[in-house]
Amino acid sequence: MSAGVRRAGAGLLAGIALAAHAQEFKFDASEFDRQPFELGGYVEAKGEAFKVRQDSVFGRLTAPALTAREHLERATGTLELVGKMRQDALTFDWRARGAASADAIATETATRVFEADFAYRVSDGVSLNAGKRVVRWGKGYAWNPVGFVERPKDPNDPQLSREGFVMATGDFVKTGVGPFAALGLTGVVLPTSEDVNSSFGQGPHVNPAVKLYGLVADTDIDLMWLGKGSRPGRIGFDFSRNLAGNLEVHGEWARISDFQQRVVDATGVISTRRFDATSWLLGLRYLTEREVTWIVEYYRNGTGYSDGELESFLRFADTALATAPPGTFSPLVDRAASLALTGYAAPNPGRDYLYVRASAKEPGDILYLTPAVTAIVNLQDGSYSLTPEVVYTGFTNWELRGRIVFLHGARYTEFGERPNDRRVELYARLYF
Amino acid sequence: MRIVLPLLALLAAAAAAPAHALDGAKLLAQVDRNLEPESYEMYRKLINIEPDGAKKEFVLYSVKKGRDKVVALFLSPASDKGRATLRDGDNMWLYIPNVGRPVRITSLQSVTGGVFNNADILRIDYTAEYDVQSAEEQPDAYLLGLKAKTGEVAYDRLKMWVDKKLVTPTKIEAFAASGLFVKTLYFKDVKDFGGGIHRPATVETDSPLYKGYRSVMLFSQIKRRVLPDEVFTLSYLPKVEDLRK
Repeated sequence: MSAGVRRAGAGLLAGIALAAHAQEFKFDASEFDRQPFELGGYVEAKGEAFKVRQDSVFGRLTAPALTAREHLERATGTLELVGKMRQDALTFDWRARGAASADAIATETATRVFEADFAYRVSDGVSLNAGKRVVRWGKGYAWNPVGFVERPKDPNDPQLSREGFVMATGDFVKTGVGPFAALGLTGVVLPTSEDVNSSFGQGPHVNPAVKLYGLVADTDIDLMWLGKGSRPGRIGFDFSRNLAGNLEVHGEWARISDFQQRVVDATGVISTRRFDATSWLLGLRYLTEREVTWIVEYYRNGTGYSDGELESFLRFADTALATAPPGTFSPLVDRAASLALTGYAAPNPGRDYLYVRASAKEPGDILYLTPAVTAIVNLQDGSYSLTPEVVYTGFTNWELRGRIVFLHGARYTEFGERPNDRRVELYARLYF
Repeated sequence: MRIVLPLLALLAAAAAAPAHALDGAKLLAQVDRNLEPESYEMYRKLINIEPDGAKKEFVLYSVKKGRDKVVALFLSPASDKGRATLRDGDNMWLYIPNVGRPVRITSLQSVTGGVFNNADILRIDYTAEYDVQSAEEQPDAYLLGLKAKTGEVAYDRLKMWVDKKLVTPTKIEAFAASGLFVKTLYFKDVKDFGGGIHRPATVETDSPLYKGYRSVMLFSQIKRRVLPDEVFTLSYLPKVEDLRK
């Protein structure tokens, strides 16, 4: 090959490389012009395998068909749609979910509208909303004792979308007010009746709530209030602050007035107590040099049961179940099931918890891979759940997650009496 | 003689000083303004490129006000659409529509994965974060040595090479407080954005911490726009999309 041909070849290659470079890095922002209507969401396929604890009290009480088996496999398909419409200062946002699941015990379908909310922007600092919406308060990652007007979080999956309540809200924000870099006020009215927001509590009530927000000295501070109505009245505050570029601390405190709770002893005698309950949470988020993010939270659940109270309930329910023929219900079992529904079987019904999560960003230079381990410990009875997981988001618009939830504890403890020893979960989610 | 002696002293002092003493702080302020107006809106595309050539792209809409308030909204891909990040000085928050409330994040984390971190995506004026420690004139560039004003800043030290004619960066090397070399940013493809904005339209970055990986940031529609302060607050994060015309 002559030098001239080689030079021409090299020139051609350089030209191709330049053209490829120009092609590779093309960007025309007009492709992303705002649209008056938007529709998005995701479709998800999930598979779960449960290793059943056949002798568990919670399992026999709340899911007797499950505890008749050693294993259960379940397949679930979910479609979540999210839409937005705009007309000048008015927007309408909605979110709806449909899911179908099948296992050896049952096939179920469910559709729910999670949000359907009109928003009117009066000005840059004032907006009004009306409809079904999710209003989330608090700084905690796993729990939010100051989440006065929302459904409780699943600490095992805190980022899961949740259903809202029908409400009207007004938001006002102003910057540079005295020592406050920003000051905000949110007013909420959450009406309840037989047909509206019945899961929030009994009606008819207006259920007014207020949140005052301030950013002062680089610290987020919120003060909250919920008036007495469908739920007991309560006040609270939260804060969050970065102590360093890799360390954030946060906390919440809530005081519930005249809280009413049913408690049962090991013989089945039920008593009702009324008290002012105080719940609080203290947590931190810390990023190490190796890019491992630690989230640690201590949660004092003032409306929870002590380890002794939980054990008494579980012993009573165990005795009641032992006296009833398998698969049948007796008055004692009915009583235990009713108590389970009103608190004892709720997620994290205890009084003291520790949440620890460590997630590593892209270990081994594998982009978009996030392995994590989460532990939730009931500090009073020593039982815990341990969840190793891995999430991969490397394919555009796909999220793949696999995790195993191990539950461990002695007899008559919270996690020791859950219906499963372990649960394997895999899902693939495609956003569009 | 009483006049001649001071004159001679002045001449000697002038001879000892460089012909043009370089004012590093002034130069850095000029770099800031030449890259973007103090208050602006713009669109960016982030491309993460893996060693095998696989790519993942993100498109963001950003607005900035003053020296240290900036908001970025993800427009694409669908899995990230609606995420919004706010920076007010050293404070940073991330809003994820599913989570439904803003959470504090740190400047060192990355909301996109890849070589760019939050501080790159929510960059504020260099003069807001750095002091000029050294400034020297090289044959084809000015070289600035920058030191972070506080420990909150993502990179403790920067070496910035500045184009003499455009007074915009051509290359930046970033170092951690430990002295660890973190990444290099290359500024390329100078383009006229209109409105007197004439600057590189592409920023590429690679890092010894991510061997074989690189990330590219492309700029489009940089425009001067002054927005109310209320836009740069937590309650506005779910509504940033409304700012787009």
